[in-house]
Amino acid sequence: MEAAPRSMEASGPAEVAAAAARRRAQPSGWWGMALLIATEATLFACLIATYYYLRFNASEWPLGGIEPPAVVLPLVFTGGLLAATIPVFGSVAAAKRGAAGRAWWLLTMATAIQATYLGLQIHLFAGDLNTFSPQENAYSSIYFTLLGLHHAHVAVGLALDVWLLWKLARGITNYRLIGLRAVALYWYFVNVAAVAVVLTQLSPSL
Amino acid sequence: MEAAAPPASRTRTERLGRIWEEPPGVLGWVTTVDHKRIGILYFFTAIAFFFAGGVEAMLIRTQLIGPNQATLDPATFNEVMTMHGVTMIFFFVIPLSLGAFGNYLLPLMIGARDMAFPRLNAFSYWVYLCAGAFIYVGLFSGNAPSAGWFDYVPLASKTFSPGPGIDFYALGLLFVGISTTAGAINVIVTIFKLRAPGMSLNRMPLFCFAFLAVSFALVFALPALNTALILLELERLLGMHFFAPAFGGYPILWQNLFWIFGHPEVYIIILPAFGIATSIIPTFTRRRMVAFPLVALAEILVAFLGFGVWAHHMFAVGLATATTVYFAAASLVIVIPSGIQLFSWVTTIITGTPRFKTPLLWIVGFIVLFIIGGLSGVMFAAIPFDQQTTDTYFVVAHFHYVIFGAAVFPLLGGMFYWFPKVSGRMYNERWGQASFWLTFVATNITFFPMHLLGLAGMPRRDYTYPAHLGWSGYNLIETLGAYLLGLGLLSVAANLIVSLFRGEPAGEDPWGGDTLEWSTSSPPPEYNYAVIPTVSSPYAMWDREDREADEANLEAGRRTLEAGHETPAGTVVDGEWDEVLEMPSKSAWPPLTALAISAIFAMVILQLWLSAAIATAVLLLVLAAWHGREPEEA
Amino acid sequence: MVSPLDPHSPDAHHIATLWWWMLVVAGIVFGGAVAMLVIGWLRRDRPGLPFLGESERANTTLVVAFGMAIPIVILVALFIVSDLVLMQETDAPRASETTMTVTVVGHQWWWEVRYGNSRAATANEIHIPARTHVRLVARSADVIHSFWVPELNRKIDMIPGQSNSIELYAEEAGVYRGQCAEFCGLQHAHMAFRVYAEPPAGFREWLAHQEQPGTEPAGAEARRGQRLFMENACASCHTIAGTEARGTVGPDLTHLASRNMLAAESIENTPQELFRWIQNPQSIKPGDKMPGLGLGPARFHAIVAYLTELR
Repeated sequence: MEAAPRSMEASGPAEVAAAAARRRAQPSGWWGMALLIATEATLFACLIATYYYLRFNASEWPLGGIEPPAVVLPLVFTGGLLAATIPVFGSVAAAKRGAAGRAWWLLTMATAIQATYLGLQIHLFAGDLNTFSPQENAYSSIYFTLLGLHHAHVAVGLALDVWLLWKLARGITNYRLIGLRAVALYWYFVNVAAVAVVLTQLSPSL
Repeated sequence: MEAAAPPASRTRTERLGRIWEEPPGVLGWVTTVDHKRIGILYFFTAIAFFFAGGVEAMLIRTQLIGPNQATLDPATFNEVMTMHGVTMIFFFVIPLSLGAFGNYLLPLMIGARDMAFPRLNAFSYWVYLCAGAFIYVGLFSGNAPSAGWFDYVPLASKTFSPGPGIDFYALGLLFVGISTTAGAINVIVTIFKLRAPGMSLNRMPLFCFAFLAVSFALVFALPALNTALILLELERLLGMHFFAPAFGGYPILWQNLFWIFGHPEVYIIILPAFGIATSIIPTFTRRRMVAFPLVALAEILVAFLGFGVWAHHMFAVGLATATTVYFAAASLVIVIPSGIQLFSWVTTIITGTPRFKTPLLWIVGFIVLFIIGGLSGVMFAAIPFDQQTTDTYFVVAHFHYVIFGAAVFPLLGGMFYWFPKVSGRMYNERWGQASFWLTFVATNITFFPMHLLGLAGMPRRDYTYPAHLGWSGYNLIETLGAYLLGLGLLSVAANLIVSLFRGEPAGEDPWGGDTLEWSTSSPPPEYNYAVIPTVSSPYAMWDREDREADEANLEAGRRTLEAGHETPAGTVVDGEWDEVLEMPSKSAWPPLTALAISAIFAMVILQLWLSAAIATAVLLLVLAAWHGREPEEA
Repeated sequence: MVSPLDPHSPDAHHIATLWWWMLVVAGIVFGGAVAMLVIGWLRRDRPGLPFLGESERANTTLVVAFGMAIPIVILVALFIVSDLVLMQETDAPRASETTMTVTVVGHQWWWEVRYGNSRAATANEIHIPARTHVRLVARSADVIHSFWVPELNRKIDMIPGQSNSIELYAEEAGVYRGQCAEFCGLQHAHMAFRVYAEPPAGFREWLAHQEQPGTEPAGAEARRGQRLFMENACASCHTIAGTEARGTVGPDLTHLASRNMLAAESIENTPQELFRWIQNPQSIKPGDKMPGLGLGPARFHAIVAYLTELR
């Protein structure tokens, strides 16, 4: 019974990989992130439900003669965000195998893609703001709120990436691997939310 | 054997005591991450809010003691009425259940040494305190919200409530929601991961099932409220439109979002009380709960089904008939798991050999009041009847029976039940029984006439009423009942306070309790268990062989985890030992983070956007610092 | 009396009857549960069930029977009777089932009442012909209110941007009190109204009279009062048909003197009370939107003299 490992003492790529391989259940940190994702996913679900509630009670949509959104760029950018999943996944897999250096570079690559995505999306967002304002009517309000909340989640994800890169640059420990796994989980959620949000946002044009 | 050599067990307990020692003084309490201290902090804070909500109730009842009174003008009445609801629900009953009882007892009941995330636990408390202070700053600065605890739009929009009161409401609830969400996540992960190795899910006490169900319900219900509050504040502070018909919005959108949260919320309020009842009943009837698996399943079903019934709060709104009928049917379905639990409790009482001491009296009172509240609740599922009595005092009667009678009575019973464990002393039994009867009778005098008052046509939330409609007599009785109820509750408090200083020493297990906390000293040592307990059933204390195994393990140094600040983690379903966790011991970051968040909310309500952005950046830095020190360095 | 248990329409009768049956069943359930608790107390020294002794199977069967089986039967019965049968009967009427429509618009804190295509507009008093199926359309001009006449039917919320309807049918002529039943702000407690159910001929006569423009003032003081009404803020909020007063913020006053009560059932419609009301509205309904104009007693008396002639 006492042979249960003290995984938290694991430090250095090999020890950390061994601790991760030995573990049978998901660590507490992973569960914490999973449950946080549950609340955030529910928040997005409520906002998307609000969008459709307002839409199906309206006689025309978009309201107030606002142009339906352009389709191509948002879909392309979202594709780019989804593509970042590959280096994220790769980073976790590498760390679990003990390839800490490769994990760090893969995370850096993912961060670069995600940051580019956010920058481009903010550019589009600013362009939208020049065309119509959130205060015009319920359509514009829910449009900007839904998109804005999504971008805020991406920004938080980037902050998590930066923090993790800084930590991992100083070596890998059990704690930091769990952190990497939790952040990866967060990005998988953000990706799913991105698809749901962008499809909703573009629905008048689809 | 020479008397000089200390037994190995005492050496171990002393070492554990040194490892887990809490720092002394105020600083020790501010930086604590110990679940028991956090539970105590929650307790006293929640009781303070109970007192505030109680004063608000007394003011309401005094204003309504007779027709056309002028104790409170309508503006003040509307503020007091709103603050009463908000305080009792968000700042008293949930923090007391989850924060005080949950925090203190869950690790003890599952044989762990702390919650899964001790620093997050402390953070939850400090955020709760700051959020409560935030909303009461609103009250004391003359800016209390006044649109009722469910804050319907358009009344709550900027047009009809121009002052900052509603912003204090919405931002205050978003604020406290952070605490509640963190608490719920902590409870789930603790129950999943930190159970003593060998405690598979079906060997977990019913109290834990109730708290697991509650926490999942919170995780999925709070976001609906948060959505509504965010949309409301985007409307009020940034001029967006979600609810105003002139701009394509819908007032009913608010109601839907609010009640998608609000209905699960009422099951969230009552489930911990069910958990407490299922702890007290086996102990005092000296037998295991009848139909344990059915009760556990029923607790989870209530939480789950509670998500499908929200529009029964909206039967008078003009929804489509089919929609209305569906929600009535769903509401009737929930009666079944409640009925199963009720009859299981009653059958356990009949088939056991009950000792009607104070804790069990509160539970019997709870059962009676829950039945009355439940019956009036079932009546509301008859849609045409609901459409006559909704928004009248009939509803006020119903929810006070289920919230005060069915949620608070077990909390009071739980206070008496666990008082010996937490304080090490016994309360006065005769005084306890007397104050139970006083409170029980006063509860009925206060709230029963409200059924009749509603059937006599008095709407709710009226700051006064005319003399000639036959409502005055009921109101007078209710007010006198309320005063008596206040006395009853003060009597409960006085007993516990006096006993804290003068009560008889209680010993480890004055009741012959069924769950693990009764195996520790009273109060428990900082490390809870010198030996991680061996468990074969949900009634761990009644399994003598396991408790003897613990003593042997202590001597031999098995399952003692003395190498550091440690507790075991296991697999989710079977509780097989997976790893040993190193727990943090104290930290200033949780209260500092709560302060950083307070700064953000303060800047938002003052509409100082740049300062709010700066405060957000500060928050991110504080969070990074919190996670700067990793567990193995602790 | 203003109770749902004092029904004066078929719908209200159905609901009241439903209540009494539900009370009987609830009483039996409650009595049974209390009896079980008393048995628990009486048998506190003996384990097991009476007659059946100690048997976990018997215990579980009891729990399933009382906690699940019997409730299912009762609840299904309740559902069928109240949510399927009764709902059909008390559901909102279609326009084709009714012979007239009355539209009520809720304001903070008064009721605007219009009658089908008629020109007439009243406030805080609704007249309907007795024994007639009236379709009551409920709307709101500002926040959510709720229209409720307990003796005649269930309540229906008045939601801005939406039109809801219920049936209003009075079995016999009489006066029925109603009150706002959705919290709507400072004077929610003083937002009540009356429904006068009249014999159909009397109703038609009343409606025809209400369509007439406001009476021209007779005496000197009343003429002075009319002039003051038009020159001051009164005319910008109130309508008096046939004059230049066309305001729609406050109630229509064309036939004010024909009403029994003022300020949404708060005070009686007498010259003294009317004077008190317009001189200092905040003293009767604090927070009300009618401002005190500070015109002085003599001018207010003149205005009262004019208003009391608007029969």
